[in-house]
Amino acid sequence: MAKRPPITNRVRELREANGAISQAALGEAVGVTRQTIIAIEQGRYSPSLETSFRIARLFGVGLEDVFGWEGD
Amino acid sequence: MSFREKSAWVMSVVMVVTGLLYAWLVQAAPQAPVIAPLLPYVLAVTALSVVVQIVLALHSPSEASAPLDERERNVAARAGQISGIVLAIAVMLSGAVYVLFPEGNMLFHHLLGALIVAQFVDYAAQIWLLRRGY
Repeated sequence: MAKRPPITNRVRELREANGAISQAALGEAVGVTRQTIIAIEQGRYSPSLETSFRIARLFGVGLEDVFGWEGD
Repeated sequence: MSFREKSAWVMSVVMVVTGLLYAWLVQAAPQAPVIAPLLPYVLAVTALSVVVQIVLALHSPSEASAPLDERERNVAARAGQISGIVLAIAVMLSGAVYVLFPEGNMLFHHLLGALIVAQFVDYAAQIWLLRRGY
């Protein structure tokens, strides 16, 4: 199995806190597929810096409010 | 399952089926000119690929027309890297077989087989990477 990236995220939590925006809608808003949003939420994929910023800006929060380093 | 994964599954099956067809045609007439097994193989792989891609696109038109996203591009690049290694090894093996048994037609068949196997590995790697994370 592929090694999980050591990056945590609060994408699901933020999605639910922002009107339960769907994975597909979030994906469309930031330019990735629904499957990629699922992979990010499950910690199987670390998005690019650009997509990370797009997600954070969409929720109106800072990058570190969305993503963190495992163990921090 | 995403459109890309469905496409990779279906195309890997197409590679196996048409690859077996090619192997059967070669085995049935090993001394025939290479065009004899090659032509039906090319026709079969082209027709099947077009048909399955049309069927998949009809089921998911929006996904089919969407460009690859960043994760899918990474997966495609990694799968291409893996299949490239497989192709290089298979080509070297084909060359080694030719050194031992210098028969031009069989070299051609082995090289085409190497391409088929490498393409199958490409699709299989895409499936694995899309499912298990990359």
